[in-house]
Amino acid sequence: MLVQIQSANPAPSLEHRPSNFHLFDTGFGHHVLMVNGSRIFSIGADVAAQLGSAGDEIGVMQELGIYASPYIDDSVPSNLPVRSLSLAVAQKCNLACTYCYAQQGDFGGAPKEMPVEVADRSVDLLFSDAQAGERVHLSFLGGEPLTSRTVLRRATERAARIAASKRVHVGFSITTNGTLLTPEDGDFFEEHRFAVTVSLDGLETAHNALRPFKGGQPTFQRVLARVEPLLKLQRRMQVSVRATVTPLIRSLPETLNAFVELGFHSVGFSPLLSSSSGADEMTKEELRSMLKGMIACGEEFERRLYSGQRYPFLNMTNALQQLHQGSHRPYPCGAGAGYFGVSASGELFACHRFVEDPGGLLGDVDSGPDRSRQTAWLTERHVHRQEPCQSCWARYLCGGGCHHEVISRGRPACDYIRGWLDYCLQAYMRLLHECPEYFRPCAT
Amino acid sequence: MNDKIEAKNLSAQLQFRALGNPPSTLPNSAISNCCPGLEMDFRNAWKRIFVGIELHESSNFVVKVDPSAPELHELANNYQLMKVQGVPVMATATGPLIPDGPNVPLPDSDGDDALIPLEWSNVLAGVIYNSAGKLVECEFQSMDPPVRNLAFNLRVRNFFENAVIARDLLKPGELTQSLCSPWQNDYRECGCFYWAASRPDYVNVELSEDGNSIGHNWMQRDRTPETAKVYVSDDFLDERLLSYNDLFNGWEKALRFVIGNEDEPPIDGGPKK
Repeated sequence: MLVQIQSANPAPSLEHRPSNFHLFDTGFGHHVLMVNGSRIFSIGADVAAQLGSAGDEIGVMQELGIYASPYIDDSVPSNLPVRSLSLAVAQKCNLACTYCYAQQGDFGGAPKEMPVEVADRSVDLLFSDAQAGERVHLSFLGGEPLTSRTVLRRATERAARIAASKRVHVGFSITTNGTLLTPEDGDFFEEHRFAVTVSLDGLETAHNALRPFKGGQPTFQRVLARVEPLLKLQRRMQVSVRATVTPLIRSLPETLNAFVELGFHSVGFSPLLSSSSGADEMTKEELRSMLKGMIACGEEFERRLYSGQRYPFLNMTNALQQLHQGSHRPYPCGAGAGYFGVSASGELFACHRFVEDPGGLLGDVDSGPDRSRQTAWLTERHVHRQEPCQSCWARYLCGGGCHHEVISRGRPACDYIRGWLDYCLQAYMRLLHECPEYFRPCAT
Repeated sequence: MNDKIEAKNLSAQLQFRALGNPPSTLPNSAISNCCPGLEMDFRNAWKRIFVGIELHESSNFVVKVDPSAPELHELANNYQLMKVQGVPVMATATGPLIPDGPNVPLPDSDGDDALIPLEWSNVLAGVIYNSAGKLVECEFQSMDPPVRNLAFNLRVRNFFENAVIARDLLKPGELTQSLCSPWQNDYRECGCFYWAASRPDYVNVELSEDGNSIGHNWMQRDRTPETAKVYVSDDFLDERLLSYNDLFNGWEKALRFVIGNEDEPPIDGGPKK
């Protein structure tokens, strides 16, 4: 099968006008993403020309039959049930990562461990509104959550017990630096079907420069040695890599390939946009370079898929799923809506990154979300309130960007995000044409 | 211009209106539902959900059996689907027999407890979600005495093909073939006051001081001021009421607007007693 993978556009489109649709081309013709509802159409050349010259004129879209009344308005969801909690079981860490949002694990305060009573009450809150058949999620972050293994295990087992008795589906996940993993942890995670995400910020040189032990020693080989038994063990659990991308990563395709060959279930990249120390943040120039690397990874994903191989490039698989469904959202994530980060002392924050940040304080585990603070948060964070998102064609796919990064540093990555989505749209059309079975539900 | 536009992803397919179709063909701008609806009768989508048999859209009777599956042929003899994977798809109807009365099993026309089919979109949602493409146990019961029970493992068809109803489930035209026909059968049959949004029922009403009332059934042939105001209940036999034939032949003359609770004057040529 010969598919022209190379982008049909000479360069990724970084422009962001008009704001109601985005035209793009592939070897299979002209296409348009209608921003409202994230609807994707293939169109003839004359329709593409008509849209291109009409800008944001609604009348033309109505005439073409692709106008729809708004899927997303300015309203703010209210009284949302708590569906997902991340527990900062340990506000302490054995690493000294240069950029850590948690400021080397303690969030700028004294190192803390979550008391078991707080963990218990957190789990109870998570299930308080859950009905039989519904899903909830419990994750463990820090700091390094494995420095508080006892609390982690107790909270997991309590959640599993309640889930069984209430017939609620519960999912577990942990994000760990990997240095403290043991084979027994692997057994426990396997038993409870954990999604285990290991932070590996590139291959050995880059990773060691960014993620040393507190004493300065390198960690890369230590992490690989600790993770290896879990990679062999994983059946019910999934062991994945999250790589924070800094200028130190030499090649994204090389990094991706190396982790895939090690047997990780999936590998995802995320640029460092906001560093607590200010070090290693990606500049616009570096983000342009990263975009090229991401597209090279995506093209490898396409090549592998055309030849019938699985290639677990998480950014790509997530983007394709969202584009196929037509995902459209007024927020980038569930932070402060159905999802909260619980601090060691039991306060609810908008997410794990906002722990100990008064601006993200939204309640506590005893009283649940403070509804007035939550409404204020969701009102303020709605993508319709963000600039320059109002005039961006990617606003309902991106949701306005990570709240924490945006509040700390603004939006330096908009061109990167649009460039990545533009590539993913093209790849989606190619794959839909050449590998339609990739998008079929696997219930059969 | 629509012929040069093709909906590709799921949200585009769900919202797309084909060339020539009116706005009401989109589910979110239609009144279409299961009862059966003004634009489409969604119940038809479930008729072929199980491979090998076809069910009637408004009941659970087996109306066709695959000729190449002889083991299923007995089902063509007046059998009704009763359970899927042990979950009943029929239920006893209960409710008050008199206003504010207790909920009791409601009788059918024979005086037995009424068994009614549950709405398929709800009762079979779990089956298509969990078991599409798989075999599930289906239990049937003969409606002719003596009662006989049969069970077969039948394969569940995929309901969706991308974002739309799978081709295996519906033939062209079937989604609209059992639509309500409000000016004909359904003004007689539909007692739910759903039409459109509700048809007249009790007209020319006079209230007495003690709270009682007298009036005409809107479906009575003769509703002149001289006609005794006695509500005639429809037993499908009483000739004082309009028949199907009356409606087929001249609904526009037989049915009259009701304005301020009073009938419009009769139109010459309307059905007579």
